[in-house]
Amino acid sequence: MNEAYELDVNGVRYPINAAMDRNLSSVLRTEVGLTGTKEGCDDCECGACMVLIDGQPVNSCSYLAAQAQGREVTTVEGILDGDNLHPLQRNLLEEGGVQCGFCTPGMIMSAQALLTRNPSPTEEEIRIGLSGNLCRCTGYQRILAAVERTAAES
Amino acid sequence: MTLTIATSLDEVLTALAEGARPIAGGTDLVVGARQGKSPLPDSLVAIDRVAALSQIESADGHIRIGAGVPHRRLMSDTLIVERYTGLADAAALIGSPSTRNVGTIGGNVMNGSPAMDTGAPLLTLGAMVELRSVGNTRQVALSDLWTGPGRTSANPDELCVYIVIPQPPALSGSAYVRLEYRRAMEIAVVGAGASVVVAEDGTIVSGRVAMTSVAPTIVELAGASDAMAGLSLVEAAAVIGAMASDQAVPISDLRGSDRYRRHTIGVMAARALDAAARRAGGEQIGVPVNRSLGIGAAR
Amino acid sequence: MVIAESPRFMRADGPDKVTGSGRYTADLTLTGMLTAKFLYAGVSHARITKLDVTAARHVPGVFAVLTQADVPDIRYGSVADRTLFSDGVIRFEGEVVAAVAAIDTKSAQAALDAIVFEYEELPVINDVEAALEPDTPLVHENWATYDADDDVSRQANVASFTSITRGDVDAALAGADRVISSRYVADASHAVPIEPRGVVAQWEGDRVTIWSSTQVPFQARDGVCEVLELPTNRVRIIVPHLGGGFGGKCGFHYEAHIAALARASRRPVRLVFSREEEFLAPDRRREGMIIEVTSGLNADGTIAGRRSRVLLDNGAYSSDAAFFPHMAAMHALGPYKIDHVHAEASSVYTNHQPSGSVRAPTAPQACWALESHTDELAKAIGMDPVAFRQLNAVDTGATGVTGQVYDEIGLQECIREAVAASAYGDELADDEAVGVAIGWWPTFPGASGAYIKVDSDGKGVIITGAQECGTGAVMTLPYLAAAELGMAPEDFELVYQDTSVGPYDVGATGSQTLLNNGRATVEAARQIAVQLKQLAAEKLEASPDDIVLNGGKAFVAGSPDSGVTIAELAAIAADGEMLLGRGSGAPPETPEAPNTVSCVGDQGMNGWAGPQFSCHAVRIRLDRDTGVVRVLEVNTAHDSGVIINQIGASGQVEGGVLMGIGQALTERTVYGADAKQMNAGLLEYKLQTMADAPPISIHFAEVYTPDMGPNGSKPIAEAPNVATAAAISNAIAKLVGKPVRLLPMTAERVWETLQEDGA
Repeated sequence: MNEAYELDVNGVRYPINAAMDRNLSSVLRTEVGLTGTKEGCDDCECGACMVLIDGQPVNSCSYLAAQAQGREVTTVEGILDGDNLHPLQRNLLEEGGVQCGFCTPGMIMSAQALLTRNPSPTEEEIRIGLSGNLCRCTGYQRILAAVERTAAES
Repeated sequence: MTLTIATSLDEVLTALAEGARPIAGGTDLVVGARQGKSPLPDSLVAIDRVAALSQIESADGHIRIGAGVPHRRLMSDTLIVERYTGLADAAALIGSPSTRNVGTIGGNVMNGSPAMDTGAPLLTLGAMVELRSVGNTRQVALSDLWTGPGRTSANPDELCVYIVIPQPPALSGSAYVRLEYRRAMEIAVVGAGASVVVAEDGTIVSGRVAMTSVAPTIVELAGASDAMAGLSLVEAAAVIGAMASDQAVPISDLRGSDRYRRHTIGVMAARALDAAARRAGGEQIGVPVNRSLGIGAAR
Repeated sequence: MVIAESPRFMRADGPDKVTGSGRYTADLTLTGMLTAKFLYAGVSHARITKLDVTAARHVPGVFAVLTQADVPDIRYGSVADRTLFSDGVIRFEGEVVAAVAAIDTKSAQAALDAIVFEYEELPVINDVEAALEPDTPLVHENWATYDADDDVSRQANVASFTSITRGDVDAALAGADRVISSRYVADASHAVPIEPRGVVAQWEGDRVTIWSSTQVPFQARDGVCEVLELPTNRVRIIVPHLGGGFGGKCGFHYEAHIAALARASRRPVRLVFSREEEFLAPDRRREGMIIEVTSGLNADGTIAGRRSRVLLDNGAYSSDAAFFPHMAAMHALGPYKIDHVHAEASSVYTNHQPSGSVRAPTAPQACWALESHTDELAKAIGMDPVAFRQLNAVDTGATGVTGQVYDEIGLQECIREAVAASAYGDELADDEAVGVAIGWWPTFPGASGAYIKVDSDGKGVIITGAQECGTGAVMTLPYLAAAELGMAPEDFELVYQDTSVGPYDVGATGSQTLLNNGRATVEAARQIAVQLKQLAAEKLEASPDDIVLNGGKAFVAGSPDSGVTIAELAAIAADGEMLLGRGSGAPPETPEAPNTVSCVGDQGMNGWAGPQFSCHAVRIRLDRDTGVVRVLEVNTAHDSGVIINQIGASGQVEGGVLMGIGQALTERTVYGADAKQMNAGLLEYKLQTMADAPPISIHFAEVYTPDMGPNGSKPIAEAPNVATAAAISNAIAKLVGKPVRLLPMTAERVWETLQEDGA
């Protein structure tokens, strides 16, 4: 049975009408209509669904949407710098860290969470910080370079 | 399904009394439902906004960790890293940054998994859980809590509210290491926690060792303290390693055969003891040991 | 032309991908769209005794339930052994028995639950060697009646067989100074693109549009046309952004199931796979393999002769795997100078998921075995393994195992550069070692087409049949066109991965996009260049031969300041003979198979066009107490001809290497006694994480390769996946004292090998 509640996503309040057992990624992709958050696995292992809740990384596939009430949800659609690409987005492109792009939104959200709490991470801290996001295309080397460059530029 | 978002402990306990199940980060419940292992319960009570459950308090020779404290805080909290280092080791190894962000110590301890990472260090640190239901509070030792794989002795209407750990004595240290095939996103193939007290000369005075993924529950190594007392670290590590392999009753599964687990639990137990004793002697080994000392905590 | 680090190559699809605005198949919704779900067999070998979908069709919210009885009775595949739905015999657990389309997931599941599906189990064939025993039942009782190319050699449970013979290997081995035999066994593994597949189908009258996460839209279209008996112009396949493939999304899979559901339900229908389905169902998996190699050595360290035998686990159906034995046989002989060889390879039916192309099919496993064997050879005669390869590996002018004589190639440069960049020969800690291996991979020339139009404002569109799976190959096409026309890459938009719009291309398979479609794009651009030069010649009163196109202008050579802009020329052309180019250049020829070779089951792999070579050197650390191996550094060198797009090519090397590390150490599909997969999920099927990934260095041996890809290039996408596991094996063997003969070389297998004699 559906229930009505509100979600704050990227600074916009959305009225939601959904069953309480729905996970956050599903509600974001269908009710809110933001499909940048991806679903790549069944068991919280791939990180493609990563969003920020109150600034912290969360696998939205394994988080009940209703539990996000009253919290700030940020998806990849919410990190644009006005009309411009966020430095992480731009650097991922310029360093060649994007191939198929399916892991990219989740990767960006984990990197953003990492850089917010640790603006000057070591290589090891970046590797651990993004270790919950699987990428099959790049070998991670260019993603690492993009995050390092973003940290160095800020 | 109904979901109650609770903001007070009373609200949670009332909901539990009415048949609800608690949910914090959802890392076990929601994932399990997605995989089709077990559907979500008809009634859930969200406990992640109950302030009382998210405190870490130190008093009366104990530390009291709210069941809702996420692993992210355990691995970085100054008091825990300094005095309950094995617990910080374990918390830092769990899943990924997001798992550590939403996953809680209460959720880990109460899932009853023989592979839970926080279990072994908590056991060696002598932790108790405080279970509360409407009108009743009791403390239970971990060895009495875990009754089988995924099973605990807690009643359905009881909530784990705190993990209570006595303050470790002077010249003591603890550590947790695990065998993992990747450096992240892993579940322990086997793991070992150790807490030891050393003499000024480094000789082992006393200690406890517990083992992960080698029995139906996390288990303590019987007779460990007597066996290691008075030995040098090198001698003690050898003795404890052999005892761990001997006492382990592992199964064979995708992650490893019983033969391999029986061998590697000995290796991990010796390494956990080594790291714990070195910490007891004042050496700084960063959290987690696995990453500070390299693959499988090699040296 | 080289797209170097500066100016930086910015993929045209990049902003879509980093902002989340790009749509992948699972992101599409159409009004009235239904959800599709499949009933899988869930048993590996059985005969269906009852299949009744009557009740399922009456479940509320259910619009269609289909079985094989509802579609044309057609078999398809490289050996035509496959039907859309089960033909009455279940041959692997992921076989589709029925499909439903319903208003939502719950109704679809209720319909699946209402299907009466009963069967009697048959003995499972779970092992390729057992499958060859004379008393083992046949996976396909009627195999002899199936259609297949005349070149495919088949017999009973052998779906495809190849032998290669050159010289007299018996005599060569009999006369050799030393003879060494090895046996290696590789487990099956998976491609694991992070995007699970999706299909959406919608009919308009008698035409169907299918959005599919396929690497090969034209092959998918042809599959739909074949099994649903439709002409090609009534089936349109559109690929939204594709979330990776690695071969796993090659072939024709579920487009026809969903098209048939959409037709029956008169609604658009969408299928999105779970990760578990992604593991269990598609006929694409990297096959398990048994490789046996015997080599005879001369006293001077040269190789006198080699005999190889390979058994491949074909799985239950043949998919595109009929050529695998020939490819595996080549990899089990290797890029070496050997005059006397004999290789036999059989792809054997079992009750496992079908095998199909996964990045460099057959190569990583066979290379791992052969290169581990090569280190055993060098060790047996006390020779340095790198020196052994420098002595025996082919190079420019050398004759390879099938008698092919190589034009200019860079394998020896690869060996030299990869080893030089590594710590090979340095003093290392006693738990560290460097292993070295070489690999090779063929180039696949083929037909491919592209159109270019330049409109009245001088802006262009490239309309191509090529498919972008993430590599950036299609994204590189504007650079090729721009270079021909003196324009900027940003002057071109791309229209791609739509079978009703672009001309044919084989798809994102065989590393061939830039090779074939790049040539087509260049040809199309050159046609427009001719038009522009003619227009400019008239305007500037000069000969077309003297016109130069550069910097967005056309001018007489030597007078760049007095030209005319391409936009001005385009405006003139728009009123008359428009600027339209088309290219589908004749593919380069594949070298003749030398007549010294006899080959049964010839799948065209004896002579390789534009062969690519590589050498990987990998430094590892071994925890001897547990067998855990950590890769510390990978140094690579590749001969993929001239490199057009440095960032793109490097990304292919880095991704291929990391996949190779996974194959070497952690990636493994485990089968139970019931022939079912036991680890169909990402927790127990372990990809490498960023925390595991080592630094990777890259050297490109840029040998100009004439008459191949644009600008002297060769492909790059699959080659980096060939030699990594082999190099890791050789590093492990140095530390263990002997090779680990099972792939992946899991910690437990390494530790077990350490317990053996001789370790």
